[in-house]
Amino acid sequence: MFNKILIANRGEIAVRIIRAARDLGVKTVAVYSDADRRSLHVAMADEAYPIGPPAPGESYLVIEKIIDVIKRSGAEAVHPGYGFLSENNSFAETCEKEGIVFIGPTSEAIRLMGDKITARRIAQEAKVLLVPGSEGAVSDVEAEVIAKRIGYPIMVKASAGGGGKGMRLVRKEEDFKGSLRMARSEARSAFGDDSVYIEKFVERPRHVEIQVIGDSYGNILHLFERECSVQRRHQKVIEEAPSPAIGDDTRRKMGEVAVRVAKAVSYRSAGTIEFILDQNGNFYFLEMNTRIQVEHPVTEMITGFDIVKWMIRIAAGEKLPFRQDDLSIKGHALECRVYAEDPEKNFLPSPGKLEYLRTPSGPGVRDDSSIYNGYEVTPFYDPMLSKLIVWGGTRQEAIKRMRTALCEYIVLGVKTNIGFLRRIMENEEFVRGEIDTSFIERHPELLPPSLGEISPALIAAALAMRNSTKEVETSKQAPASNWKLLSRKLAVSRNPLI
Amino acid sequence: MMYTFKFQDQTYKIKLEEEGRQTEVEISGTSGTDRQCSFTEKKIPLEFQKIDESFYSIIVDGRSIGAGILKKGKKVEVFVGGDLYEFESISEREREISKGVISGVQEIKSPMPSRVVKILKTNDDGVKEGEGVIVIEAMKMESELKSPIEGKVKEVKVKEGDAVESGTVLVLISSE
Repeated sequence: MFNKILIANRGEIAVRIIRAARDLGVKTVAVYSDADRRSLHVAMADEAYPIGPPAPGESYLVIEKIIDVIKRSGAEAVHPGYGFLSENNSFAETCEKEGIVFIGPTSEAIRLMGDKITARRIAQEAKVLLVPGSEGAVSDVEAEVIAKRIGYPIMVKASAGGGGKGMRLVRKEEDFKGSLRMARSEARSAFGDDSVYIEKFVERPRHVEIQVIGDSYGNILHLFERECSVQRRHQKVIEEAPSPAIGDDTRRKMGEVAVRVAKAVSYRSAGTIEFILDQNGNFYFLEMNTRIQVEHPVTEMITGFDIVKWMIRIAAGEKLPFRQDDLSIKGHALECRVYAEDPEKNFLPSPGKLEYLRTPSGPGVRDDSSIYNGYEVTPFYDPMLSKLIVWGGTRQEAIKRMRTALCEYIVLGVKTNIGFLRRIMENEEFVRGEIDTSFIERHPELLPPSLGEISPALIAAALAMRNSTKEVETSKQAPASNWKLLSRKLAVSRNPLI
Repeated sequence: MMYTFKFQDQTYKIKLEEEGRQTEVEISGTSGTDRQCSFTEKKIPLEFQKIDESFYSIIVDGRSIGAGILKKGKKVEVFVGGDLYEFESISEREREISKGVISGVQEIKSPMPSRVVKILKTNDDGVKEGEGVIVIEAMKMESELKSPIEGKVKEVKVKEGDAVESGTVLVLISSE
């Protein structure tokens, strides 16, 4: 096992990795930008080094700076987390050349799967179904011909894309040219590459993905599926495992297919194969993410398998001690991503200081976060505050637990999506498991609080105004603690003189 | 005591009646522009405890509510049931003023710390109500700020690439 590893990330995932390393008795090195000096990962790590200005392009994304800290601190390995350098094959390659262990797949696997077109070709060679579409990047003329052949609606997607950028849905032929132009221009400004491909649009698709993990000895297992259909602007908001939409047969098939794709690139470490599931139970390969996913905890909760810890163990040369048959699903897990954002203003980020914070807890409740009372949400990074994960014996129990947990939160100072998440948990369609990627678009009524919900808030506001004028009086009114009264009583009754 | 609050262009009135340790509450809302609202809740008995600086336990007719409260002058932030409400406490006089016609010079302010990406209008350009004037970027997201009134651009106070704080005045629009 390693003596010391560096975590090339920030926020909750850096904290998660520090915890996993601690479990293994491994020392941790944090890096931080000027905006993150007061972040939790810095305070928690054994060592911490500054790496420059807040903008990721000048700190967390600068390979030379990270490599320099690895060398200075004497860390033997680096965990990239998600985002930032996690899927940057030149970073992985630099580590390989410098003799630093990259806690993740080989640079070759990242490179192959990172290019969406190559990834589709690999999947096709592994006999995995793809959504019908162009074989790769297309010219405007080719695109139009293929669109006609596969039929509308179609999706135009950036070859170098991700996170919904450079993506356009085209429902009618007359909209095609305009959408293609917009997708190209978005792709050019976001990724510096305007090549796009097109594919058939699956109506009311569900997003289901398989977690895989492989060691350096050719053993690759899958840890079942996660359903991540509840999304806004192509970003996941609620994830769960197992999927309420698939049975054992599809689950087994999906798992086998995912392992086949991973084997095609001799995959090592944790990775995720994403699929689109249509309303008839057919599934198509979407892409492979060659890193730890944000939503990995739901898989950990239903399998008891610590994915982050195993990434470190595998990187240190350990062999997976299980076979596929040893793994099974126990219960149901849900994850809600709590964001500092305003659901009523098109999910506009809401940076600011957390003036007050109370967080949920209790049986089966896991709060993966890096926030605290007084934490400052800066505009430089993703506005995710926390991942609230719950486990229940059944999906229904997990939903009830999630409602309770969400209601335990109190966050003052920034807008959050907590109320919106709670309303989703109370929505009948969600409760029945009838979700697809358009769920949020179809339910704009869940964005604001309903009218009946305002009364308690108004009462609280009035009490706040009342209290400010009667501050002194209120504090006088505070009753003596019952403990004090009780101990007084006891003291009196024990008095031998009475 | 009667309290009046503004929340999302709607006005709510709430009356707290205190007799000794008994408190009763009466709430009414006026109908707004986008959401229909008209309700009155009559005299409900209420009891509350301030647990700490920002956390209140309120019992309204037997129903227990845990609420986070942050008071900033006339503004009150209330967090209950996962939702954050930003109320503005207003007096009768202020209500009369706010009913007046919007005129004169309007400011377009940055809603959060951000970077100016693109300026769409220059001095003396005519603008329509709701027309985009400036594009800012924060947290990898671009948003277009729109003119609240019809008029012309009086002054652009920033330039492209500027980093701005929350509340910085970016553009002045005059109604002519």
